[in-house]
Amino acid sequence: MQKQPSRKKNVKPAENIQGFVFNIQHYSIHDGPGIRTTVFTKGCPLSCVWCQNPESQSIAPQLFFTSEKCTGCGACAAVCPENAITIADGKSRTNRLLCKGAGQCAAVCPNEARNIMGKQMTAGEVFKDVNADAVFYKRSGGGVTISGGEPLAQPDFTRAIFRLCKEAGLATALDTCGHAKWDIFKSLLPYVDVVLYDFKHLDIGAHWELTGVSNELILENAGRITREFPGITFVARIPVVPSCNDDKENISRTAQFIKELGKPIKVHLLPYHRLGETKYERLEKPGTLKITPPTEAHMEELRRLVESLGLTAVIGG
Amino acid sequence: MNRRIQRLKQRLDTDVYPICVEKACLVMEAYRQSEGDPAILRRAKATAHYLDHKTIFIEDDELIVGNFACKPLGLEAGSLGPTWDKENLDELRKQGLTLSDEDETLLRSMDDYWKGKGRILEERQGQFYDDERLWPFIQSGILCPPWQNKYEGRGLGAAGVGWGLGVGQSLIIVDYALVMNYGLNQITRDAASELKTLRYFSSEDIKKADFLRSVIIINEALVRLSRRYADLAGDMARKETDATRKNELKMIAEICHRVPGEPARTFREAMQSFWFTWCMIAQGTTPGGRFDQFMYPFYTKDKQEARLNDEDVLELLECLRIKVMQYNFVGGGKMQRNKWAGMARWHNWVIGGVNADGEDVTNELSYLILEAAKDCRTPHHTITVRVHEKTPEALMLKALEVVKTGIGMPAFIGDKSYIQYLMNHGVSLREARDYALAGCLDLNLAGKSRISAIGMFIVPLVFEITMNNGVDWRTGRQLGPKTGEFESFRAFADVMKAFREQLAYFMSLAAEEHNILLRAQTELFPDAFHSCLMDNAIKEGKDVLDRTMPFENGSMLNPIGMINVADAMTAIKKLVFDDKKVAKKEMKAALDADWQGDRYQQIRKMCLAAPKYGNGDSYADTIAREVYQYWTDIAVTFPTAWGGTMKPAGISITSHVPAGSYTGATPDGRCAGETLADGTMSAAQGRDTNGPTALIRSAFTIDQIPFQSTLLNVKFHPSALGTTEDLKKLSALIKTYFEFGGKHIQFNVVDRDMLVEAQKHPEKHRDLIVRVAGYSAYFISLGKAVQDEIIGRTEYAKTA
Repeated sequence: MQKQPSRKKNVKPAENIQGFVFNIQHYSIHDGPGIRTTVFTKGCPLSCVWCQNPESQSIAPQLFFTSEKCTGCGACAAVCPENAITIADGKSRTNRLLCKGAGQCAAVCPNEARNIMGKQMTAGEVFKDVNADAVFYKRSGGGVTISGGEPLAQPDFTRAIFRLCKEAGLATALDTCGHAKWDIFKSLLPYVDVVLYDFKHLDIGAHWELTGVSNELILENAGRITREFPGITFVARIPVVPSCNDDKENISRTAQFIKELGKPIKVHLLPYHRLGETKYERLEKPGTLKITPPTEAHMEELRRLVESLGLTAVIGG
Repeated sequence: MNRRIQRLKQRLDTDVYPICVEKACLVMEAYRQSEGDPAILRRAKATAHYLDHKTIFIEDDELIVGNFACKPLGLEAGSLGPTWDKENLDELRKQGLTLSDEDETLLRSMDDYWKGKGRILEERQGQFYDDERLWPFIQSGILCPPWQNKYEGRGLGAAGVGWGLGVGQSLIIVDYALVMNYGLNQITRDAASELKTLRYFSSEDIKKADFLRSVIIINEALVRLSRRYADLAGDMARKETDATRKNELKMIAEICHRVPGEPARTFREAMQSFWFTWCMIAQGTTPGGRFDQFMYPFYTKDKQEARLNDEDVLELLECLRIKVMQYNFVGGGKMQRNKWAGMARWHNWVIGGVNADGEDVTNELSYLILEAAKDCRTPHHTITVRVHEKTPEALMLKALEVVKTGIGMPAFIGDKSYIQYLMNHGVSLREARDYALAGCLDLNLAGKSRISAIGMFIVPLVFEITMNNGVDWRTGRQLGPKTGEFESFRAFADVMKAFREQLAYFMSLAAEEHNILLRAQTELFPDAFHSCLMDNAIKEGKDVLDRTMPFENGSMLNPIGMINVADAMTAIKKLVFDDKKVAKKEMKAALDADWQGDRYQQIRKMCLAAPKYGNGDSYADTIAREVYQYWTDIAVTFPTAWGGTMKPAGISITSHVPAGSYTGATPDGRCAGETLADGTMSAAQGRDTNGPTALIRSAFTIDQIPFQSTLLNVKFHPSALGTTEDLKKLSALIKTYFEFGGKHIQFNVVDRDMLVEAQKHPEKHRDLIVRVAGYSAYFISLGKAVQDEIIGRTEYAKTA
């Protein structure tokens, strides 16, 4: 720390900035080039109707409850500081309004029925974890990806991690939905090599309906990133969700928009999957829409459509 | 696969394997006539008698000829000792081996010749176990599995042990190139001229004469056998009506008329010459050496002269795979067979690597050998890729494409660590660069070294004994030194010190056992054929089991379950000494009770939650490093009966399964009887939950250079190897491992059945990685519906 005298006094050193993380995935091979470690941060300004990571939406730690494993032994109820747990019909029940995700119940549960999603970490701790794989990044051309949730929902934390990575010579990637103030982008992009940028719908109304926010800021940021940070590799990612955004018109408009950003941009078409469905049960939240994943033929058709507009497109990340 | 290979492969598709008695009868006949001769001559004569009279046949479609047993896919019953008892035979019959009643009677009638005369290995070894020190050790099972009595060792009986007529000499890579380039006839002539000039001034000279005579007898017999195949092929050609096959048979006749007696001139001749040689030395594990290297000159010559194209070569390589599959092996009693998991075989072909100058030597054959494995999909022979910094990415990708098919091969080994190991033992850099593997991954130099004793030493049993002040709790016997009661240890270092002392003591016993075995093999199994294909064989004039090799690694000490001990020690350090959450007495009582009881269950939970090797956690990894360091330091302190010192190895085959079955509960949270950790660098099953890079970082921690071999198993779902980009990343993972001292890594790419099983028993598959969607995840962490979805998807991928 003493080595960086340029830092202003009274500013927290990057190492000590805290944030909430719900997973750190090593040997993550589909979130950017090379072997990567992906840090999944909590908190997201969007609430997509198809969201398959509902545990990432809230910044606060949350209880993940696997009902099948619960035997109703009551160990959790005895330790809950909020008295949020009762036992009924041989299962524990949690009053989610009272639960603060402190996790005493998870510590004592003998059956691993209770887990806390999300843990508070300092940027220094995250860095130490991701830096352990530095030798693998070096050989494979990989690095660190911060994903979410939405990493920019915790901008100081995300910036601190990126900065520590860059200082150590690690390559970085930001996986973002794009919905954040430009100032945030601007302060953080100098530490970023690759941006994985989501396009969920080109139509404002549809975007609003599907994600809870307008797409104006997102589209504007996309333009500014490509213009003002030309050194950054910009990858466009389109989640393909049947009956939501997978019509040819939207995909074609999206591709057109990407093309007009004015530089060669690779497009990842990510087929919708249903792998988050059980997560809703575990969060005891109402489920998401029942959507059938797109067929391979449909994905291939969309890929060709995007390519016909002069872009490179792949299915999957 | 072309149609020929399809037909040949189809014929392998059986569950029934006949046990044949032809070899046993012929060998017995010869032995009865050679009473009084020295062992090496008796074995040479018996081999010659067998080769001259054995049944031979050429099957339809075959391009490479030479059969083992007298019936297709048969196994010749062991010819140098009594056969299985009734109980074992019945069990083998249930497993698909057939033996007619008459043949069984015939086999039984020979038993008396062997029994009670010290002529079989176990009896000879047993004569040394008549004391209070070694016999209880041999019975304890620390060397897996335990002996039942002093005459039968780990169970008598074997079938398919090959023409080499030996049982313990399989980890030898002979100089195949010598046969191909020089020819057996020339070796015979060399032996004859050496014999002519030999003068008798020492007992070595006299032994040498017997050796040279034996070489001549065996080589001449093998050449006669090849001529019998030539004649048979000629006869068949005359009778054959199909013109294509007629020509093939004529070609086979010409080839067999020439090799292995004379040097091979073409790729086809070299393949046939290799095959006859391989047959002669075939055992449960018969290395193929650096196959892409010694075959390459024949390949390039034939390509240049347009004698054959890559399709022909691929066909021949696939024919070779089929031939290897025709050779079966089963040996020992039930426990011994469990140790080798049925008909396991380790015929290892090594490809890639560098030449003496350190330049990459990957060639077209390296790729074709991989393609043959991918196309033909037989479990044997296996393939190992030697990897160094300059291994072409194309070879890595080709190899990983084969891995991706789920056949579990090739394995990858790191030149850097292997070569350094050899140099640390005085081998020159140029020679070290020519290493290959015998068995699954034991290093050898073709012609210049050989391994014979490699026991499976169950370390957790020594840990148990340490916890009990030297007493084996099963028998109540004071088996090891008194190193103090566990309850009396004040610091964690005291536990480690006691363990090290016990380990050193039991390793010394294992070393003695190995030396007795080596010496018994020298006496009983001299083998002129193996021997004449070793370095400077004729001038040296010694049997391969009766000389010190240029690189002497005849005897290996090989730890099983060391990682369980490392994790156990870690849990003790954490819970008993650092955090003081569990009292020593309680910990011991919990183990004795196999965790039964509420408090003990709680202790088990804490033990399971303690840090584990394989997660890149230095708390556990440094302890693993230390216990392995004990092993490598201690091993080299014992001399071997063949010269040099014992060497540390690190393989477990499948012995961690039976070994686990008679190991009690261990503080890593393992219950009594549960399987031990596999390999040496792998984490205990399901204990590595932090991804493959973390596992590999843990493995970096261990100093692997002093090991002659180590083993790291990594399991992936096929979706993690989906695209070429994925394979490149895996290639980078492998190369990084080797850059930082790794020796070996291999991959299981699991499919649907494994996933279904994982659903039923998630606790055993904690480390199974699946590609979920935009990210990968541990399979068991997913809900059932998701698991079902992925299972469904996998099957879909199969049909695509």
